[in-house]
Amino acid sequence: MTDLERRYLRLLAAYPADYRRARGAEIVGTYLDLAAPGRRWPSPADAADLLRGGLRQRVRAAGAVDLMPGVRLAATVALLTATTLAGVWVVLELRPAPIAGFGEPTLGPFVSLGIVAWTAWGLAALAHALAPGRWTRRAVALALLLTAALVPAGALTGLPRPPLFVLLPQIGLGLVALGAADRLPASLRAVPLIAAGGAGLLGATLMSRNMFSASYYTWTVVPVLPTAAVVVLALALLLAAGLGLRGDLRGGWALLILLTPVGLLALQPLAGALDTAPVEVVPSWTALAATAVLVALVGPALLPLTLAARSHWARVTQPRRGHLPQ
Amino acid sequence: MDTPLREPTFLILTALAGEPLHGYGLIGEVTALSDGRVTLRPGTLYGALDRLVDARLVEVDREEVVDGRLRRYYRLSPAGDATLSAETERLRRNVEAATARLAARSRATRPISPRVVGGLA
Repeated sequence: MTDLERRYLRLLAAYPADYRRARGAEIVGTYLDLAAPGRRWPSPADAADLLRGGLRQRVRAAGAVDLMPGVRLAATVALLTATTLAGVWVVLELRPAPIAGFGEPTLGPFVSLGIVAWTAWGLAALAHALAPGRWTRRAVALALLLTAALVPAGALTGLPRPPLFVLLPQIGLGLVALGAADRLPASLRAVPLIAAGGAGLLGATLMSRNMFSASYYTWTVVPVLPTAAVVVLALALLLAAGLGLRGDLRGGWALLILLTPVGLLALQPLAGALDTAPVEVVPSWTALAATAVLVALVGPALLPLTLAARSHWARVTQPRRGHLPQ
Repeated sequence: MDTPLREPTFLILTALAGEPLHGYGLIGEVTALSDGRVTLRPGTLYGALDRLVDARLVEVDREEVVDGRLRRYYRLSPAGDATLSAETERLRRNVEAATARLAARSRATRPISPRVVGGLA
């Protein structure tokens, strides 16, 4: 056995054991047929292909053929939510407090560095309208990176940034939105862009320049995220129930995937429930941090746990499922 | 299996319409049929073959061991033949409709040759 064959066999561990026994030699044989003479290591593209194929096969063996359509459905809802929130936050960023009055640091005409990330989310909505699929995923990845980069950028420059309870749900939504579908009906493509614009107009009404300057901590702004959590949860439940009635399980998978971003959007009320100290507007930092860690650990674990349970159930009820039909 | 077929699926069925092929042969044939636009990797190919076998559009033809490597050959089933024929007919009608519309458009937008101004003075 050559080194290359041994390494391909190692990567084959991504596949379920029974599938490996039935198909492993054939798959590795095809990789070896395609490999250039003298090659000793699988290419990164081959490794990614094997890992993707293994994951797909595990999903299939678990009887969860609706999972990938569920991922795409969750991505659509997540992108819509993320761009809508970005629309609100752009308006907020345009309402910096007058320094003389409040002494709050600002970023020139903007409240904080957040304007960079929110603009990138607007571009992601535009990409979704013009080029769904790969370009949308790239735009979402860029917006996601810029959102995450606000934390070190704020620390390094000393400039203000949006609080973590605003950034974390945006990152959670962005990670889910990376599963955006390649093909979408034309009527759906512009929805995130329209929603972001609409949310911006609504935000402009809520944060009237004549009333007061805005910050992520003012009483009209703090309820935005919990309200978004309720709306997304209600939408996900409706999709799961509506599609489930037709025997379509992708709504259920989408709900399971969206629970993590929903938990992050609801960070303040969840942390408030944990916080024993009296809460005025925003719960204490420690309560928020503990809740965020809890949501980030429990939420993503629900999907593999459900898949494992489905897989176990499928093995018990249909022991031959997942094998190559002869 | 849902129709219209996705391009890789259509190309796999088209490749198998010629003769039974093993994985390596199928990858080469799909690349040739698509003029190099579609290059399947084994992980993707076998995922697609699993779905096609489940949908009874493709069947296992035979197995061989060549140079110590297992080669499993696949062939188009009668249901696969019918699906590929129906999809080809659908695409043919679309191509004919598009060709006719483009030809009509080309005639309508053809520049009119300028008339000779003036007379036979």
